[in-house]
Amino acid sequence: MKFASLGCILACSLLFGGTQDSEFNVNSRYTVEAVVVSGDGWRADMATDRDHKVSSSLRKEMCALIGEKLNPTSLDDLAHRLRKEFHARTVEHRVLRGKSPDYVQVVFDVQLRPTRFDVSVPKFLYNSDQGWTGAIEGTATVNHNGFTLGLVSDGDELVERYTGIAARYENTDIGSDKVRFRFVFETYHEQWNRTTTAALPSGETSDDLSGLYRTRQNFEPEFTFQVAKPLSLSVGTSFQRFQELDPVAHTDVANALTTALRYHRRVEGEDSQQDVDAGYNLRAATRLIGSDFAYSRHRWQFRYMLTRGKSVVLDEATGGIITGRAPLFERFVLGNSTTLRGWNKYDLDPLGGNRMVHNSVEYRYGVFQAFYDSGAIWDRTDAAVLRHSVGVGLRQGIFSLAVAFPLKEGRIDPVFVMGMNY
Amino acid sequence: MAGLAIPLLRLQADEGLTVSFDGDNLHFSAPGLHFLTGKPLTRLKDADTVTFLSQITLFSDNQGTIFRRGLPERLVVSYDLWEERFKVTIPGASRSRSNLTAVEAEAWAIENLAISALGLAPDRPFWMRFELRAASPKEMSRVMGDSGISLSGLVEILSRKPGVDDPYWMRSAGPLRLSDLPRTVARRGRIG
Repeated sequence: MKFASLGCILACSLLFGGTQDSEFNVNSRYTVEAVVVSGDGWRADMATDRDHKVSSSLRKEMCALIGEKLNPTSLDDLAHRLRKEFHARTVEHRVLRGKSPDYVQVVFDVQLRPTRFDVSVPKFLYNSDQGWTGAIEGTATVNHNGFTLGLVSDGDELVERYTGIAARYENTDIGSDKVRFRFVFETYHEQWNRTTTAALPSGETSDDLSGLYRTRQNFEPEFTFQVAKPLSLSVGTSFQRFQELDPVAHTDVANALTTALRYHRRVEGEDSQQDVDAGYNLRAATRLIGSDFAYSRHRWQFRYMLTRGKSVVLDEATGGIITGRAPLFERFVLGNSTTLRGWNKYDLDPLGGNRMVHNSVEYRYGVFQAFYDSGAIWDRTDAAVLRHSVGVGLRQGIFSLAVAFPLKEGRIDPVFVMGMNY
Repeated sequence: MAGLAIPLLRLQADEGLTVSFDGDNLHFSAPGLHFLTGKPLTRLKDADTVTFLSQITLFSDNQGTIFRRGLPERLVVSYDLWEERFKVTIPGASRSRSNLTAVEAEAWAIENLAISALGLAPDRPFWMRFELRAASPKEMSRVMGDSGISLSGLVEILSRKPGVDDPYWMRSAGPLRLSDLPRTVARRGRIG
């Protein structure tokens, strides 16, 4: 009986209880002085701190509360959205007295789940020339430790199609949240396109080229240091071993020191937002750490994005150079789902190149996108040939559908690319 | 179910309700009942609005036979951060009072609750029960999840026994007779 009546009261509370009723809250006559979001060991004033933990759109909405009368109903909505954005266990809000009489401060407390498990699809796409590519992974997070196990079959990124397992351990707080550690283990089985095997006949290698391989394993520990707010530095090593196919099956090792310098800066104006990303990656393999190969792979990347209302303008420039003899997985590729879209990478260079430049300009308006790609891929001994492509498509969040046309003489061969997170 | 109700009624009878009659409705006070305490008070001091759901039930015997059950009434309470005083609103009765201390707010809220005495014979004995529950915003958010109504959340809440974390109060009185009750002036129009 007691529980029956409690159930009745609860049902009514769900129907009528509501959450915050502004008209009933006596504090709705006070003015909001500040809005603060705090979490485990961090705190950000939305008006003064340019903290990137909270998305710019949500931060703008929270800043809009400042100077207005307190609206408790809107706090519930913002707390709900923060909870979704942080995948938090709870987001609770408190209102405190402000520094001046009749002013109040709003504080959102974000409580993350100490242990959580997520399944995600980091990459999934279909290219009408090159087929399917997909990856799925599960991540268990315990405090600052993340354990990830995933399956991948990628025919897009490299000359080869690699299929196998990728496992990762990440610690995002080695004594400080400015130091991170990551250990990656990958084991793949390779498939080669006929054009690639034809371009590199059995047993034939050169000063720049290695042979084909059947399987490949990689062990890669890496530390990342947040040098300054927009700048991070990663250092690590990569221990790769792979079983070459010809002339006789044997295992080769390509051990390299790795370094990456990344810069990210966001500048927000009244009605626009600019994002600048720049990066430099170096992989240096040397016999000093037991490598059968000695080479250096340098890659530069610059990306600029301007967002104004529904319009987005994006420019991304990439360049790379390899010196020495590197395995095929290190060689650069153009003509996939992100570079020289519309071109077939096997037509451009079935073995990849050790020199590469590429630029992509993209304009988006709402879900509509149009792009222009240009680039060249070549080997040290060859001359560079600049190629271009254009395309249009639809993009909504992480999902994209595009048709791309390589600009070349003769017939037009459109290529369809659809997928997510690429 | 009725068997369960008897000991509950007897158990709570000592804490009691002081019942009065205004000619149409039954009113009561609950001395010693303090609901602006604990978690609801913490939420109020965070400037949250706390909604309490009250329900009054009349029984025609001490076996738990319901004579009348009033519609749940909302008591909406907020706490002024700068004045440090409470405001209580009873939307169903269109009544509101502010600038109250905690004790004043509790007393005013309960004084303004009532149930119709229509159909009660003056000499017929009856029993009364008053229940009060704080509606938790977490319960709301658990049930109203990101992807719509969460059935597991609803089941979890309904199957949970009220405990320390679930602010719930109950007071009972009886047997009572209308003819024995002290008369008061009408504070609300006729209910029901």
